[in-house]
Amino acid sequence: MADAKPVMLLVGIAAFLAGIALVVVGTAVLTGSDALIRGILAILGIVVGYLGLNKLAKLIFGEKFDTGLWLAIFWFAIVVLAAVFADLLPLSESRDASKTILSGTPTLKRPDIFSANPLGTDRQALDILGGVIYGARVSLQVSLGALAIGIAAGGIIGVIAGYFSKKLDTVIGVITDSILSVPPLILLLVLVTVLEPSPLNMSLTLAAVGVPTYIRLARANTLVFAQREFVLAARAMGASRKRIVFRELVPNVALPLLSYAFIIVAVLIVAEASLSFLGIGIQRPEPTWGNMIAAGQDDFDRHPHLVFIPGGVMFLTVFALNRIGEKARELWDPRESKV
Amino acid sequence: MARLVALKLLRLVLLMFIVTAAVFVLISVVPGDPAVAVLGSEATLAEYERVREELNLDDPIWERYASWLGDAVTGDLGNQLTNQAFTVVERIQQTFPVTLEIALLSMVIALLVSIPLGIFAALYQGRLFDRFSSGTAFAAIALPSFLLGLLLKFFFVDNDRQEISKNLVLVLILFVAAWLLWRALAQLVAKGSRKQNSSTDFSLAVVVVAVAVAFYLWWPDDFKSGGFARLTSDEGLLANLRDALLPALTIAITEIAVFMRLLRSDIASTLQEDFILAARTRGLSRQRILFRHALRPSSFSLITLAGVSFGRAIGGTVIVETVFKLPGMGTFIVNQGVNLSDYNVVLGGVVVFTTAFMLLNTGVDIAYNYLDPRIRRGRR
Repeated sequence: MADAKPVMLLVGIAAFLAGIALVVVGTAVLTGSDALIRGILAILGIVVGYLGLNKLAKLIFGEKFDTGLWLAIFWFAIVVLAAVFADLLPLSESRDASKTILSGTPTLKRPDIFSANPLGTDRQALDILGGVIYGARVSLQVSLGALAIGIAAGGIIGVIAGYFSKKLDTVIGVITDSILSVPPLILLLVLVTVLEPSPLNMSLTLAAVGVPTYIRLARANTLVFAQREFVLAARAMGASRKRIVFRELVPNVALPLLSYAFIIVAVLIVAEASLSFLGIGIQRPEPTWGNMIAAGQDDFDRHPHLVFIPGGVMFLTVFALNRIGEKARELWDPRESKV
Repeated sequence: MARLVALKLLRLVLLMFIVTAAVFVLISVVPGDPAVAVLGSEATLAEYERVREELNLDDPIWERYASWLGDAVTGDLGNQLTNQAFTVVERIQQTFPVTLEIALLSMVIALLVSIPLGIFAALYQGRLFDRFSSGTAFAAIALPSFLLGLLLKFFFVDNDRQEISKNLVLVLILFVAAWLLWRALAQLVAKGSRKQNSSTDFSLAVVVVAVAVAFYLWWPDDFKSGGFARLTSDEGLLANLRDALLPALTIAITEIAVFMRLLRSDIASTLQEDFILAARTRGLSRQRILFRHALRPSSFSLITLAGVSFGRAIGGTVIVETVFKLPGMGTFIVNQGVNLSDYNVVLGGVVVFTTAFMLLNTGVDIAYNYLDPRIRRGRR
């Protein structure tokens, strides 16, 4: 069936283009009709486009090609790049309402790809695209910060708990147990009551809530590795306990712990957005996905783009991170790969 | 058994003590002054001194904790600082039932929907239904609850879209029913060993059709956001369920996805076991194998997960209550506690939520010990 390939290639390209066309028609052209119909068209377009792309990619890169995974990586890369280079992009004002009012930008403008506000404006004429991109920056800053702080602290404490004296282990165990006995969101609420909601404090707060979990993971892994021959060998050669912890155990425990990184970042992004949504996270004028959605929720019946654009971007990012994270765990977590 | 329960409860009390002490210390180092929270910013210095005196704010922190604990043990969590007319316990009694009802209802929905879906996905692993439902579940997990709540509100609450949405859902349900019927008929026509499957599909199709009819008859057109008809109010059970349904559904959808994924992989691996093959060679019916043999080993992980996610649901109501503007415990803590730096409210909230969460986890632990003979023997 050698001649079937070009035909399938054409079918793939056609489906992909048709999908994109449907999305464009649904979101940008039919601006007059109801959001429900447009939404259905857009979703249909995404499905058709994905099927086409999948066919195409499998024909070009072989049957084993994981299109979904690569799309996830692609989307996450776009979000990261946009967040990093946000200041260089030609975005309309998304933070300072006094500027947009002076410049006469219309408020609550519907998305229009070919204008200065491609994704529309909000109640204060602030640009949604700009808000989403700067929001991505806040989300990534906060969640990556929380991940780094949490994993470093939790990982080291966990290794210490697993390797040093039984007494220390018990003390650390009681502390982690008591933190874990409070529902996570309630713990966040308590910490937010105490701390000013700046990005750094949000990172610290989210890190604190995650630490007990990292401690448990690191401890469990340490208990396994501490029994291994290379630790015994190091001890027999007279290595100090500090050396064993930092040179033998930490590097080995780090990999399984880091294999959870993507999934943890996804959870942290949702947690940060939830706090912003409740109005107790990072405040305006700094736009975040959560506070944009919260601001838009009261009249999103008539102006759905206020909620669905930041919401959609957040959903896609979390989805992409989950997808990448699942793969990462498959590759790097020894417990996972055994199964 | 009794000894185990006693030990678990003792641990619970100890943890509660540590948690409240830690939260108390944390909240006492808040830069904001509780006396200012009571008075507002336009009070005289003398009034301010008087309030500080009343709240014993000048005592050392451990003395204040001791007196708070003394009161708390007798069921007195103090007054609301910003609204002295109410005691915190009173407000919790008003708001907690709403939160609990939503959490409970969401669990019931989640279990009712996820168990059949999980079994189905495991049975037809790799087939269209499995791929579709697993993909949807994976997407649902990535959908934050506040977004899901807003989506439900967008389609079903108080606008011109709700009629279309309702009909769309109905069409979807009927489509599923038609598909099941088609399968049942196809198997009825087919000969040999496949024949016995048709009754399962047939009964499932009947159930789905019944759901569709019930859905169409009782689907309330007056979903609203804000306000909550309590079970004890005169409006009755239906009004109460109407108000609790969408918030509960919001939490349930994510949990359905989580349960379904777990059950699918669990049952799929159980079906590979030798004892299933043995059951099959004994000629047991498919339903019997599925429900009596394959589902039972999964019940342990299901109980654990149900406990965990019920705890998550109780916490998660904070967000859902905000989305649907319900007078529950979550909105109470956020609006009256966190936003106003009212430490009595925050502490009270921590006590209630943490107790509920821990009781649940303890219950799961005990149930696990009771159900799984392997663990029981290990302990003795």
